[in-house]
Amino acid sequence: MSQIRIVRIHNELLGTYGDQGNADVLTFRAKFHGITASIIDISYNDLLPTNGDIYLLGGAEDAAQILSLEALRRDDILQGAIERGAVVLAVCAGFQIIGNSFWANGQEVEGLGLLDVKSVPGKKRFVGDVKSKSTVLGLELTGFENHAGKTILGNNAKPFAKVSIGHGNGDGKYDGAVDGNVFGTYMHGPILARNPEFADLLLTRATGRKYSQISDPLATQYASWRRKVTK
Amino acid sequence: MRLKLAIALSRFAGLLSRKILGKSGETIPGRILLILYPKALIALAKNRNIILVSGTNGKTSTTGALTKIVSTLGKTVSNSTGSNLDRGAATTLMTKSEYAVLEVDELHLIRLIAQTSPKVVLLLNLTRDQLHRMHEVKRVADRWHEAVAGATETVFVGDVDDPFVNYALSASSNSIRVSFGGRKHSDAAVCPSCGIYLKWNKNNYKCRCGFTNTDADITLEPASAAARNAELANIVGKELGAKVVKINPADLERSFTKSYSGISAKIRLTKNPASWTEALSGVSGDDVILILNARQVDGIDTSWLWDVSFDKLHGKRVVVCGERALDMAYRLHVQGIESAVTTSFKEAIEKFNGSSSVEVLAAYTAFHGLVNA
Repeated sequence: MSQIRIVRIHNELLGTYGDQGNADVLTFRAKFHGITASIIDISYNDLLPTNGDIYLLGGAEDAAQILSLEALRRDDILQGAIERGAVVLAVCAGFQIIGNSFWANGQEVEGLGLLDVKSVPGKKRFVGDVKSKSTVLGLELTGFENHAGKTILGNNAKPFAKVSIGHGNGDGKYDGAVDGNVFGTYMHGPILARNPEFADLLLTRATGRKYSQISDPLATQYASWRRKVTK
Repeated sequence: MRLKLAIALSRFAGLLSRKILGKSGETIPGRILLILYPKALIALAKNRNIILVSGTNGKTSTTGALTKIVSTLGKTVSNSTGSNLDRGAATTLMTKSEYAVLEVDELHLIRLIAQTSPKVVLLLNLTRDQLHRMHEVKRVADRWHEAVAGATETVFVGDVDDPFVNYALSASSNSIRVSFGGRKHSDAAVCPSCGIYLKWNKNNYKCRCGFTNTDADITLEPASAAARNAELANIVGKELGAKVVKINPADLERSFTKSYSGISAKIRLTKNPASWTEALSGVSGDDVILILNARQVDGIDTSWLWDVSFDKLHGKRVVVCGERALDMAYRLHVQGIESAVTTSFKEAIEKFNGSSSVEVLAAYTAFHGLVNA
């Protein structure tokens, strides 16, 4: 497969923390691998495409998070995509949306149930740099978190990364969750800009092909510098 | 302790901090005064016309313009250097005057309104900024709304093309709602008033709940942020009985021009997606320096760079510097814009040897570093 479709979900709602950059980085990295990637922006009133290869959700304020969930509830397209193996990367509010339940505007809300996690309000807000080691990649990742929710994993989800700096899911031990090709994390940055190897992994998962390492010195310099200075 | 004594002691402390520590002396006296006399703001604001200015972008420059206008009415003091928390206000109010024009931090507005009973409050705009501190734009808007609702004697003036400002003004029965013909807002997909998906028709919004910018009290022509703020300052002036003062919008840009080894650099302050977008739209030359820092007042996270389109810089010679130069360089790289990364502003300028001028967009702390250099 040399063409992939990246679906950026509700950027006008889920675009508060710069996570829209994840789509840009995926497209950019794809080019190095000889893949043509197109970004499909889906807004609140649009129907999700059924043939996306990578679906992206980002961070949001409470009211926007609820509206995005409401729109995604109109059909089972995202669930269908996951069942046929599409990749999902959901950050912060997006991560909570695809879980079983979360809190927004002071109320508990039922999520999409696509990842076996549940988020509850924390006592304080978790704000700051994060460093963690991904269980999937075996690599150190960096990012920035800014959330009030704590996330508890169910039996069908594994932690996405082991945290060494920051709060992650709120316990200071793990960040995010993963189940097959569905990834959830609290890391902004955007996460794929800070950790281009993770972008490559998502492209591999989306196409089913293994790609050789690419040379983009600036990307490598940026990622390793962030790893070095995040302490 | 008596107020007069507290002021004298605070002044003395300010003098010491200036002489010994070399500080600017804008915050120390006010800080000490508020410790010695916690109700100082209330006492000092009494029998004086207080005007407050708040918003994400343009506070300092608009406060400057408004001070010029209000000064035509009587003796006016102002926290002109941007010391915009309660202590800065306290320092400013230690000087006797008929009028005080105070710039106020967005999160401190509620407190300043409650304590100074202002005559007029000008609300400029509310967009994403320093999210590590503000958390959510709506959270700040809710605080404004609460502050406005509690100030029944105050006149509120604001730009309702910004839905968050409009939402805050909606809590007042004494407001002057100004529109500049509508304008897109990148953080307002949700109606701040009722929480449903806000219906935008190009530059104007109209929610099912009735919340809209198309029913303003005053509608003016679309204009740059600086020109809009100049108009708003004069509307506040008019409300206070002042005559219109002609203000050059260029004076409302936070910028200055300085020569570095023969190269004339126009340096402009940039802080967040809205102000970067505004500043980028004003870039006219081919040589550009971008300085990015991420200290507390800059916002300690740089994720927002990905919400700004740097398209305007395609084909230009771009040099980046600052503590987070690499964040900027990689952001530009992914947008297809290659830049040279340098380790200091001096080195960045040297890259343009032989050019006559260069445009510099500088993060808050970098801008102030260059102002004071």
